[in-house]
Amino acid sequence: MTKPWVRWAGLLLVIVVLVVAPLVLPQFMNQTLARIGVFAVAVLGLNVVMGYTGQVSLGQIFFVGVGAYVTAYGVNNDWNIALVFILAALIPGIIGLLISLAAARLGGLAIAMVTIALPLIGVPLAKRLSDFTGGSQGSSARFSGAPEWTGLYDDQWQLYIVIAVAGVVFLLTRNLVRGKYGRAFAIVKGNEAVASSMGVSPYRYKVLAFTIASLIGGVSGFLYMVVVQYTSPETMSFGHSISLLAAMVIGGAGSILGSLLGGAYYVLAPQVTNAIDSSLTAVMQGAILLVILFVLPGGLVSLPRLWRRRKREGPGKPAAGSVAASADRSPTPTAPPETPTTEVQEKRQDT
Amino acid sequence: MGTFIQLVIDGLSAGSIYGALALAIVLVNQATGLINFAQGGMAVLAAYFAYSFLQLGLPLILAILASVLASFVLGALIERFLMRRFEQGDPDTAVVVTIGLLTLITGICGWIWSYNNLQFPSLFPLQNINVLGAVVSIRSIGTTLVIVGIMVLLQLLFIGTKLGLALRAVAVNPQSAAFSGLPVGRLLMVGWGLAAGLGAIAGALIAPSLTLTPGMMDSALVYALAAVILGGLSSPIGVVVAAWLIGVLENLAAVYVPIIGFDLKIAVPFILIFIVLIVRPQGLFGRKDVVRV
Repeated sequence: MTKPWVRWAGLLLVIVVLVVAPLVLPQFMNQTLARIGVFAVAVLGLNVVMGYTGQVSLGQIFFVGVGAYVTAYGVNNDWNIALVFILAALIPGIIGLLISLAAARLGGLAIAMVTIALPLIGVPLAKRLSDFTGGSQGSSARFSGAPEWTGLYDDQWQLYIVIAVAGVVFLLTRNLVRGKYGRAFAIVKGNEAVASSMGVSPYRYKVLAFTIASLIGGVSGFLYMVVVQYTSPETMSFGHSISLLAAMVIGGAGSILGSLLGGAYYVLAPQVTNAIDSSLTAVMQGAILLVILFVLPGGLVSLPRLWRRRKREGPGKPAAGSVAASADRSPTPTAPPETPTTEVQEKRQDT
Repeated sequence: MGTFIQLVIDGLSAGSIYGALALAIVLVNQATGLINFAQGGMAVLAAYFAYSFLQLGLPLILAILASVLASFVLGALIERFLMRRFEQGDPDTAVVVTIGLLTLITGICGWIWSYNNLQFPSLFPLQNINVLGAVVSIRSIGTTLVIVGIMVLLQLLFIGTKLGLALRAVAVNPQSAAFSGLPVGRLLMVGWGLAAGLGAIAGALIAPSLTLTPGMMDSALVYALAAVILGGLSSPIGVVVAAWLIGVLENLAAVYVPIIGFDLKIAVPFILIFIVLIVRPQGLFGRKDVVRV
């Protein structure tokens, strides 16, 4: 829709901002941005399995925790940092693969219950395996200080690492969900029977989505160690897993930009509510979540769409009430009609 | 042998609490098709209601009944003014709304009644009695019996009354129910109200042993969810049986299987779920979901 040069200029602008921002922002802002990046990656992983493939996962934080622990262990044993990174992604990925091989046989809520168990069992397990994890004390690893030659402060260096890694992960995931695999995920989410009638195995794609989500969770765990430099069993607690899910829906399920907004919500909501009144943190967080979803059931990412629609419909329909009503309902008539027809066509081709 | 019986009866008592909460979750799920993560939070709020009624000088049994009534109204109001908007939409969003509700309710409890542990009196005397050589608290037996009684009442309500029939009709197919003249909206409110009332009983039964805190029901909720999946979403009796099974097995495993111990006993229900679901995806007692393509 927009001209190509506008898009390229926009992209260039974003890159320039990302390169310059860490140099000029104060330390606290840099740290906050870095943490947003960490959890945006975690939410992105959750989006792959839940937003795009429609499998409720309540265990994403477990893979973040495993990634963080692998990173801490590797760093403390002086392994090569590239190897540590690969293992921090690969080990959660393999665990995710093994779990999903069994869990993907189940549908709907059952898969949610199997994944809910991951953080619940993960926390006591991490305490038990104290040789590897440092028990309930947790373990810290300092490896992300800025090297001498860069002349950067630690927080700037860490933010650069997060931006670089998160940028690559976001780009790869965007390409994944826009391509052949993304279409397969969408049809598995939409209707498993249709998927298998089209030769798309729901089982195989659920396993794939879950494994990729675990991989991305592991990367997020690595970044977590880059920024926070400390992890404990508390990192993968059930409460955090639930918050991650909330962040995904608040940002916008099944959306790349929504993952970023979700990460921002995950980090900023507690900070803001704590700053206002620390005794009311839980009340305000719950209220904020409910208000956002009440106004924007599609998450924050649907805000511009809603706004544009109101603007477009504004002059045509002068009555304010009808505008609000149609803005509420129009998603159904406008968006879906394409999918059913294509499904029918493709089914006909099959027969 | 004495320890064994004691473990089994304590397990049944704990399982009864999970079962009550699980029944509430099944009630809501059958009516609206979603899992209410705030069910435990609502039960805690009900326990705080009962606590406040006690402070006002009401006798314990009346305070609990009043809190059940208050929860019924609150549950119905939450359905009407909050959940109604999300029932037709994306189920993931609805689930997250209940998570938001949980956060909000926990926050409100902590704000009004503080996060400190409050003592809540027990409905049953604290004595122990001797059963086959085992020392068993009357509270454990009483809790189990109350839940059994409620289960029978619920079953009677659903099978023997017109209201129960209407509730089941809405659960099976809201659209057809509406076409045949049932007030679907009001019935959904009743469903949520019943669930909240049931949760209130669970809250009042568990509060004496755990002491009253805003996070009191968090682990009970997890066990209740496990029981729901294990028993099958469509079977109230199955859910309670599964809850008992979980309560007893985790107690036994914690003592008799050294590698599990008390810290990892939460893994027991999930290992059980994993095994059961691989063999029987619809749960122990559930019906297989047949989907129309």
